[in-house]
Amino acid sequence: MTLSTLVLALLAASVAVGLSLLMGYAGQVSLGQASFYMIGGYTAALMATNSLPTWLGLLAAPAAAAVAAALLGVPLLRLRGHQLAFATLAVQLILLNLAGQQSWTGGDIGLQAIPQLTVAGYEFSGDVPYACLALVTLIVVALVSRNIIASRPGRGLRALATSEVAASSSGVPVAAYKLAVFSLSAAFAGLAGGIYAFYIGYVSPTSFPVLLSIEYVVMVVVGGTGSIWGATAGAVAITVLLQVLNDLGAREGMPATAPTVLSYGLFGTLLMAMMLFAPRGLVPTTVALWRRRTNQAAPPTPKPAQIPTET
Amino acid sequence: MSAFFQYLISGLAVGCGFALLASGLVTINRVTHVVNFAQGMFAVVAGMTAGSLLSAGLPHGLAEAAAVLVAGLVGLLVGVVTLTKPGAGTQSALIVTLGAGFVAYAAEILLWGDDPRSFPGLNGAVRVGDAFIQKQSLLVIGVTAAIFGLLIPFFTRTYLGKALTACASNAYAARAVGIDVTRMGLVAFTLGGLLGGTAGVLLTPLTPISYDTDVLLITNGFAAAVFGVLTRPGPALAGALTLGVVEAMVAGYGQASYQTVVALALMLAIMVWRAARRTPLQHEGAR
Repeated sequence: MTLSTLVLALLAASVAVGLSLLMGYAGQVSLGQASFYMIGGYTAALMATNSLPTWLGLLAAPAAAAVAAALLGVPLLRLRGHQLAFATLAVQLILLNLAGQQSWTGGDIGLQAIPQLTVAGYEFSGDVPYACLALVTLIVVALVSRNIIASRPGRGLRALATSEVAASSSGVPVAAYKLAVFSLSAAFAGLAGGIYAFYIGYVSPTSFPVLLSIEYVVMVVVGGTGSIWGATAGAVAITVLLQVLNDLGAREGMPATAPTVLSYGLFGTLLMAMMLFAPRGLVPTTVALWRRRTNQAAPPTPKPAQIPTET
Repeated sequence: MSAFFQYLISGLAVGCGFALLASGLVTINRVTHVVNFAQGMFAVVAGMTAGSLLSAGLPHGLAEAAAVLVAGLVGLLVGVVTLTKPGAGTQSALIVTLGAGFVAYAAEILLWGDDPRSFPGLNGAVRVGDAFIQKQSLLVIGVTAAIFGLLIPFFTRTYLGKALTACASNAYAARAVGIDVTRMGLVAFTLGGLLGGTAGVLLTPLTPISYDTDVLLITNGFAAAVFGVLTRPGPALAGALTLGVVEAMVAGYGQASYQTVVALALMLAIMVWRAARRTPLQHEGAR
């Protein structure tokens, strides 16, 4: 468990909280959340390498991701359930393919030598400042999400997750709310992506594979859909787990294929075990266990929003 | 003209492979409401197994059939893990199939390494006019047509097929008339494994596969399956053939590097256009 793992875990948590808002509360599944992380990363990298002030790049990252999500969301959010899941995945594949072929994005090599983030004369360098920055970002993201969930629009989101027809007939502006929450979760991902670009110092299409998008969904579901703590716990657990597995395989005396075999095998096994024995996610299951241990009368827990099944 | 014909046939062949994958996804999703992300893995397992059996000296035909059976067994295994724990929702089931895919990665690297592998299929080409058509492509198209032709009577005429269809339309009612829904789910997973395996065996001679080819396969299969809202095999077949042909045409006449982009963008455009013609009320009424 090193500091760099912590930075990446905190960044992943920011993305996962946004995705949890989208999946758990608004019921819209996105299999392409890494594409907004990518847009944020590339925006920050492009601005910084073209000698614009770096703090401007950091501000532009979430803005660019949100604008992209708003533009994409108008046609895409007409799709529901599995179709939306596929559409977001397709968008990411298209973006990856395009980014790998344009000269201004650096093609397959990507953008190298991104300068360190400098805010008001203070230069971020090393792990600790970035860890603090990522932590502050996560706190801001979590607070914004919490306040939205507790507000009137938040109730509207939960209503439209259950039934869009019923929600719109009760006066919830369904299309506008869906677009807003889609853009907001994209902005969170874009902000995290911007910080990632400055922290790592380079971006390329290989930094944002499709597996990363799937990982975010796994983090949300493993942690527990529809809870901010769940998304955070899931993100930290998965990131640390993958790091530990990589370190295990890279020890001396291991055969060359050991890291990949070990990390894939154990990761897959743990995923299956977690979902079979704690299908509601880590956090809700732990809370329920704790309540049972301390003999508190547990209040009836609301059922997590399921993916709308299409028959 | 001959070039066009060549692209068309090779595109149809690849599209048929996607269609087999998609039909496996559709079968599993209809009966169990699980989106099976391990579907591409079945194809990889079958392709690799067939290659190993052929190099061990088994004759063509027998090796492929055995490989497809192995994929069916793997499908059954994934089904057992996914379905036998009651109370898990569709969302957690999706993650379980993902996990199964990762475990399979580990097994595949251990068994076959991580280099792309292939095996020779039907060699040679047929000459039609002045176009050369690979025999393997024709084989893929023929086998796929036969399988789709068999699937329709299987679902409508046999007891097993009817039971599967009953679970698909209403699991509660199916249970009430004495159909074991869990067992039907396992049958669906086995069938999905067999279909995915067939796709793998047929496509491997055309394009080499490695352990992580399943991402590409599942993306295209999922695209085709979603075309039929994951429940209808007909539109899934149409979607798969469209995908394959568009990719082949873009690669042939334009730039091969843009084939995925164009095909996916086209699929998205058609989906959005179709969704725009349905009101939310129609959508929710169809649940």
